[in-house]
Amino acid sequence: MTTPTTLPDPGGSESERPAGAADSAPPDLPTSAPPRWRVVTRAAGTVWVNRKARLGLVVLAFFALLALLAPVLAPYSPTAGGFERSAGPSSAHLFGTTAAGEDVLSQVIYGSRISLLVGVVAGVLSTLVAVVVGLSWGYVRGPVAEVVNFVVNLFLVIPGLPLMIVIAAYLQNSGLGMIIFVVVLTGWAWGARVLRSQTQSLRGRDFVTAAQFSGERSWRIVFREILPNMTSIIASSFFGAATAAILAESGLSFLGLGDTTQVSWGTMLFWAQNSNALLTGQWVLLLAPGLCIALLATSLSLVNFGVDGLSNPRLREGSGR
Amino acid sequence: MRYFLSRLGLFALTAWAAITLNFLLPRLMPGSPADAAIARLAQNGPVDPATRAAIEAQLGVPTGGLLAQYWDYLGNVLTLDFGVSYTFFPASVASLVGSALPFTLVLVGLVTVAAFVIGTLIGVLAAWRRGSALDALPTLSGSFLAAFPYFWTALLLLFFLGYTFQLFPTSGAYSPYTTPGLNGPFLADAVAHAVLPAVTILLTSLGGWILGMRNAMIGTLGDDYVTFAEANGLRSRTVALRYAARNAILPNLTGFGLALGGVVGGSLLVERVFAYPGVGYLLFNAVTNQDFPLMQALFLMITLSVLVANFVVDTLYGILDPRTRR
Amino acid sequence: MSLLEVQDLSVVYEPSDAAPTHAVRDVSLTLERGEFVGLVGESGSGKSTLGFALTRLSKPPARISSGRILFDGRDVAALEDEQLRAQRRGGFAMVLQSGMNALNPVRTVGNHFRDVFAAHGHVPRERRDARARELVEKVELSSTVLGRYPGELSGGMRQRVSIALALALEPQLMVFDEPTTALDVLVQHAVMRTIRELQASEGFTALLISHDLGVVLESTSRVMVMHQGVVVEDGASRDVLRDPQDDYTKMLLSHYADPRAEVVELPGLAARGGQLVTSASTAPSPGRRAHGSGSAPRVGRAASAAVVVDGVSKVYPPPRRGAATVTALDDVSMRLEPGQSMALVGASGSGKSTLAQLITGVVRPTSGTVSVGDVRVDALRGRGLRALRRDVQMVFQDPYAALNPLHTVEYTLTRPVVNYTGRSRREARARVLELLETVGLTPVEQFAAKLPHQLSGGQRQRVVIARALASDPQIIVADEPVSMLDVSLRAGVLALLEGLRAEHGVSMLYITHDLLSARVVTDQIMVLHDGRVVERGETSQVLRFPQDPYTIELLDAVPQPSRAGGAA
Repeated sequence: MTTPTTLPDPGGSESERPAGAADSAPPDLPTSAPPRWRVVTRAAGTVWVNRKARLGLVVLAFFALLALLAPVLAPYSPTAGGFERSAGPSSAHLFGTTAAGEDVLSQVIYGSRISLLVGVVAGVLSTLVAVVVGLSWGYVRGPVAEVVNFVVNLFLVIPGLPLMIVIAAYLQNSGLGMIIFVVVLTGWAWGARVLRSQTQSLRGRDFVTAAQFSGERSWRIVFREILPNMTSIIASSFFGAATAAILAESGLSFLGLGDTTQVSWGTMLFWAQNSNALLTGQWVLLLAPGLCIALLATSLSLVNFGVDGLSNPRLREGSGR
Repeated sequence: MRYFLSRLGLFALTAWAAITLNFLLPRLMPGSPADAAIARLAQNGPVDPATRAAIEAQLGVPTGGLLAQYWDYLGNVLTLDFGVSYTFFPASVASLVGSALPFTLVLVGLVTVAAFVIGTLIGVLAAWRRGSALDALPTLSGSFLAAFPYFWTALLLLFFLGYTFQLFPTSGAYSPYTTPGLNGPFLADAVAHAVLPAVTILLTSLGGWILGMRNAMIGTLGDDYVTFAEANGLRSRTVALRYAARNAILPNLTGFGLALGGVVGGSLLVERVFAYPGVGYLLFNAVTNQDFPLMQALFLMITLSVLVANFVVDTLYGILDPRTRR
Repeated sequence: MSLLEVQDLSVVYEPSDAAPTHAVRDVSLTLERGEFVGLVGESGSGKSTLGFALTRLSKPPARISSGRILFDGRDVAALEDEQLRAQRRGGFAMVLQSGMNALNPVRTVGNHFRDVFAAHGHVPRERRDARARELVEKVELSSTVLGRYPGELSGGMRQRVSIALALALEPQLMVFDEPTTALDVLVQHAVMRTIRELQASEGFTALLISHDLGVVLESTSRVMVMHQGVVVEDGASRDVLRDPQDDYTKMLLSHYADPRAEVVELPGLAARGGQLVTSASTAPSPGRRAHGSGSAPRVGRAASAAVVVDGVSKVYPPPRRGAATVTALDDVSMRLEPGQSMALVGASGSGKSTLAQLITGVVRPTSGTVSVGDVRVDALRGRGLRALRRDVQMVFQDPYAALNPLHTVEYTLTRPVVNYTGRSRREARARVLELLETVGLTPVEQFAAKLPHQLSGGQRQRVVIARALASDPQIIVADEPVSMLDVSLRAGVLALLEGLRAEHGVSMLYITHDLLSARVVTDQIMVLHDGRVVERGETSQVLRFPQDPYTIELLDAVPQPSRAGGAA
């Protein structure tokens, strides 16, 4: 009954066995473990099995360690000046020094803190907004849904970075909080749209109707029936939002719209260009922070490849046994 | 036709919403941008009442009915009257935007379309040769390139090709010794100046289009009509292009419309790095000098350009997909 | 020489993330020129895999691991790409199961034909348009479809177009892979007739792959039965019908019967003869219940409420601007007495599912009233609907979609018990195990801990039935409860439903397009056509002596193995 191009026949045979042969259904799963944990461990396994995702996780872990252990790893304080200005790489300063006489390597190590912080916080916040908007918008019908649809589409087509620049320029307070705020404000719409269409498709599924027939209330249907089935999409929109947030933070900092005294990869490049690092030939100062941003962003998209595998029901339902 | 009209209606509505958002933004912000702006302008000399009124209409002042301000503002937008810039006093904002816009439109517009076309073609090839080197190479380098911050790619190119090897001019859109116009020396010079920014935008945006098209086409390659076309012994070129790619282009086009805002945003940073006198560089100058009228007008222009581009994409979609014609 | 000779063919699936599976094992078969042969098997038997291998359409992870496929004496498995492409003209063609999606949505039907002609160049340029017209007329379509896009055609029309496209290749062998499965009953019947007529007139060799032994026996002269990757039966259709050799074939055959017969019997289901079965005779006394131990609060609730539908119409707004409104139901009235079992039959679009949605309060009628007992269903909201659903429960069509893949069987069954009977979670567990016992999922402790993907289709449907029983309902609405299951599993699930109905005294509304199953589990029947009731009465009377032409048409569409070898 199935077309080999999509799902192989044997996949069907597995689930369509005559009732008598039921004992051959996977008996080896520990029946004592709570099912939620089985789902989680299987999900983690699915992500890890994906080679790209594994690479991403390793890179991500590297940056996380860098951020956590910055005080231990960095040879100097990132803001300590007084070294030779605009020096090239040497044994004392592996990556050289900035125009203000600070150690570049220490700045790169400390810079990971800002990027990760912005990525995680802005990622979580925009995902939260996306989940709330996406779920409720997917569950309601009628004119309200139309209005939300219009607002989300508006936020999708309005170019995010110019909007961030304008808001940042008005707000003038140039802290990290402001950057996170504008990133969230402009970054939730994509996730909301994806989650909404998933909610809509799930709410039409029979098991949701069946839950209504089981006497479940709306909030329970949303949180216990629909939401757990969107784990992979929520995770994926988190990683997407975090990537966008990291890139946006670096862009705003590069324009000098953040707190330029704070050491982040974006502000490093801001100072590098303003102090004509291009003319002094300090290519490490240019290369290192940007490469870190690119690697961190790549690692997040690589992890996302694995998370995408979760939404493939054949993988999720543990055919890897 | 019905599809076209509904898209046109939606475009008009979205444009109105964007214009209104632009009106509300400064009014929602803490403090009074208008007062700050007028105070700044006063440094250049006395502010005449007409200018003051224009700024107040645009940026909002605590006094005066909101509705009346809104009405004035709409009138100003329609007549392209955005007041005067105080960074480039006494130049009008409209004239500044007008001189910057062509550079951005030509550079970003052409390069973005080129990147989309090239990326889509590579994506088709990668999907058709799935699993081979022709797939792995563009897919991997594409996902890595897509993670590059635009301004960083720009800085690297500027550093290596501009300063170290001195292959291309490092800033501006043309050299001061040429006379802008349709003459050979100027055009050649302008093209030379545009190479680095263009390559930056091309490289950084290409990855997204490759991946988008590849994934969409891998989806359509699994569709039944492709299997059936193979069963009917159609030539593989026909199957790949007229069946698989032709259908995969549709979702990719929608993705193009939505990703456009990001590309435009990135291009602004690129202009800043190369001091390319387009909208992005002007916006950067406006922001650093707190030139609110200029900033507002630029944001509106950028948003409207993206909206128009989206409308064009939607129309194209309508032409390519017979299902929208019903 | 035979047209097709398959020698010891094996096909293996090698997914990158799972152990390989042998879908086809050492299959040998021959097809003679001009033969119409059927290949029957239930899901997972490997029949489609075999069909794809024969036409060289297998794609990774499927791989031909050994054996030879000799087509007209040439080994198909060894052909180079370009030789293979040439072979597809005047060689073998395939019509896919999902003919609905087999056409490129952005190309007109005419362009599909032009692509085929251009690929093979076997029709002179100036003859091509005429040839395309000729071909679509052969499959009984008007030549105007050539200018239309696939999206503008119905499912049946699209499947006819793909048959015409396969014919355009002038094949010697046509492989039909479940050509009518995705289509509506009556359309299925008509398309099958076209296929039979074409086979007779064009003289190609045909291989019909299907899960439905009835359809195959009715059309083909020879039939092969596949089970777990192996051909277990191969013989002339008449012989297989009269004297099947393999136990598996015997079992499949036992699930077919003529709904018009005087006495109809299926495995596990008691015969319902022509005698009148009144609702009174099946309605049990309130005390007669098997699992009364933990369900005290049921006094006085035993199937006392009748479902009364009075002059109901349901009109949906137009699907797109400019289109007409859709009348799903038009002035329908009915009455389902307590303890009664009624079938609601009709093709898709007849309004039978809409009626079920009205009775369960999922949608509201445009006009007319629906009541269950003394409750007006059409006026209910939120809380009232919840109360109604304690009494009116539903069994869904697709057991794969009806269970949340993330919840264990125990969770799924506990929820309605807790919600409707006010038990604590601990008390609920006893009731859940009792329910599992009732639907025959033993050992109950083991099944309670399972997730849906660990169950077979039949087992899932039993869980769905257990959930419907959890609230001690008075009325069960079963919407095509067995149509997604393999034929061999259907009788078991039907027998369970019927047994529970009789034992618990619930009323049942059984929605189906399958008249045979309606015959064996219901007393009353109502035939719907285009939203109107065209015939109603005792099931056995209506099916044995149908009056309305539509009912007769539906009955004619039921596959009849006894008509076997009609094509020979």
